[in-house]
Amino acid sequence: MTRYVINRLVQIVIILFMILTILFVLFRLAPGDPVARMVDPNMTPEDAARLIAQLGLDLPIWRQYLAYLGNCLTGNFGHSFHYGLPVLEIIGQRLPNTILLFSTGVLLSAIAGIAWGKLAAWNKGKATDLWLTVASLITHTLFLPWLALLLIWVFGYKLDWFPINGMISDEVWLDPDSGVLMKAWDVAYHMILPLGTLFIMHFGSYLLVMRSSMLETLKEDYIVTARAKGLTEKAIRNHHAAPNAWLPVVTSVGLSLAFSINGGALTETVFSWPGIGRELVFAVSQNDYPLAQASFLLVASVVLFSNLVVDVLYAYLDPRIRY
Amino acid sequence: MSVKDQITAPAPPRRHPWRERLLENWRVFHRNPLGRVGLILLAIFAIMAALSVAPPLIDPMYHPMTGVDPEVMHSSPPSWRHWLGTDFMGRDILSQLLAGTRVAFMVGVSAAFMSIVLGVSVGMVSGYLGGWTDIILMRLSEIIMVMPTLLVVLMLAALFGKLGIWTIVLMIAFFRWPGVARVIRAQTLSLKGRPFIDAARVAGASHARIVFRHIMPNVLPLAFLYMTFRVTAAIIIEAALAFLGFGDPGTVSWGMMLQWVWKTGHMFQAPWWLLPPGLCISLLTLSFYMLGRAMDEVLDPRLRDQSH
Repeated sequence: MTRYVINRLVQIVIILFMILTILFVLFRLAPGDPVARMVDPNMTPEDAARLIAQLGLDLPIWRQYLAYLGNCLTGNFGHSFHYGLPVLEIIGQRLPNTILLFSTGVLLSAIAGIAWGKLAAWNKGKATDLWLTVASLITHTLFLPWLALLLIWVFGYKLDWFPINGMISDEVWLDPDSGVLMKAWDVAYHMILPLGTLFIMHFGSYLLVMRSSMLETLKEDYIVTARAKGLTEKAIRNHHAAPNAWLPVVTSVGLSLAFSINGGALTETVFSWPGIGRELVFAVSQNDYPLAQASFLLVASVVLFSNLVVDVLYAYLDPRIRY
Repeated sequence: MSVKDQITAPAPPRRHPWRERLLENWRVFHRNPLGRVGLILLAIFAIMAALSVAPPLIDPMYHPMTGVDPEVMHSSPPSWRHWLGTDFMGRDILSQLLAGTRVAFMVGVSAAFMSIVLGVSVGMVSGYLGGWTDIILMRLSEIIMVMPTLLVVLMLAALFGKLGIWTIVLMIAFFRWPGVARVIRAQTLSLKGRPFIDAARVAGASHARIVFRHIMPNVLPLAFLYMTFRVTAAIIIEAALAFLGFGDPGTVSWGMMLQWVWKTGHMFQAPWWLLPPGLCISLLTLSFYMLGRAMDEVLDPRLRDQSH
């Protein structure tokens, strides 16, 4: 197991290295001056000269590449044009917000998908099954930004139940009297709509996977045995069939991560959730190259590492699998 | 003709076995409610796409991009003059919606087609040749597969400026082939060991002939199935890109329409403008998705993965 994880980590490092190299090449292939792309046009000449030296932009191309790799390793991604701060600092603030929203969203929709997929398979052909399947098909192909806008329109504007953007409200966070619980509740309150968007988008695919996997499992001999032993239907469903059936859902969570992170970025953008995805979209629209590059690297790393987590989890859940 | 003759007479030669198989597949497909609903929806959208040429011919003010109603000039609710209302400049939303249908079909089908051609070629070559070719191609596909397509294209848009619609199509195609390639490779591997391939080799068929004459016909149904899912993905990516403001400024797509309603701050005041484009994106992708799932039941369900 440890060896497998180490192997995978080495693979991840190699892939990240390749992405870095491709980004380096693209940044130099793209029309325009690579120096102008990394140095804020509003800087004083002295500051600019210092930054150029620091980033190694005055060196020959292969030394530039080495300097670039070294800078990326030490987390020196340069200064954001827009914020005027080191990119690492901005990214460091945004990353926890993305992880919070994204992992909660994936986890909740996977749990619901498993629970409802189980029900659908158990009641195959009945009304429950039909409704659940149709609902997953429809929600699964909704256009995410549109769904987000609709939720904002209905629950944020018409009903005025939830805040429509941001992650915190100043009244709560600037008030010295509000405790940790108040602040946590405030974040959760802001998170309901973005979380709802991610949930509606993702539970369907997990439900469909769980349903078909559960239907396969129900044909197995050990289910017949369990029935013959006289176990209750509930025990068969929850303790004999479901635990084996939900392994493919874990795989599908892993396979759909890259897809989900696209949705995560769109959700963050529409709800102004201060995460990495929104920062990437914002940086691209502002031509803030240092920030865009670092955000992209980080998003790619998030996908790569979550893939690893999912694979390890899979091995842990399924004793038949030993790496 | 006596009964005995009928029994002993040889069965008439089946002249078009593939045609009968197609008919049989069609029956299975058509029995499936998903496939039927998907086809009906798709037909409606196809009609909409065909109708998209009409509005500008009726009156130049109905041109989706440049037509402005001189009597309105701002966003207005549905009326007899504009069945779905107008956008912030007084452009007709219905004609934009129709134009968007054409763009969505064009983007979806061409990007999916290209990624399938690429995926099938890579998958067959990788599976048939094996060895280092296989290792390198599959590693490459793994790397591309973990990349979030939308964000990659966004990054490229940052570097290379505004992207034209065909550049977007090419990029989507380029980043969406690995899934197909892996399935086709698995299928090719299983075909490679079958007797008819050995027979072809013994008969002196070249590698190219084996791949294109004997393996390709057997993987094409699967490729066609994956194409429906890729159409869905391509339409969504293009729409999302346009929604974020990185679409082709010269085309009116559904994503563009949503971007306009969102960025001009009309989403609370103009539901007639917010609802149609998103509904169309969702329904068109749904219809391709349903078609795919219905085909899935027709074709061999093995060798599938769950990452549609």
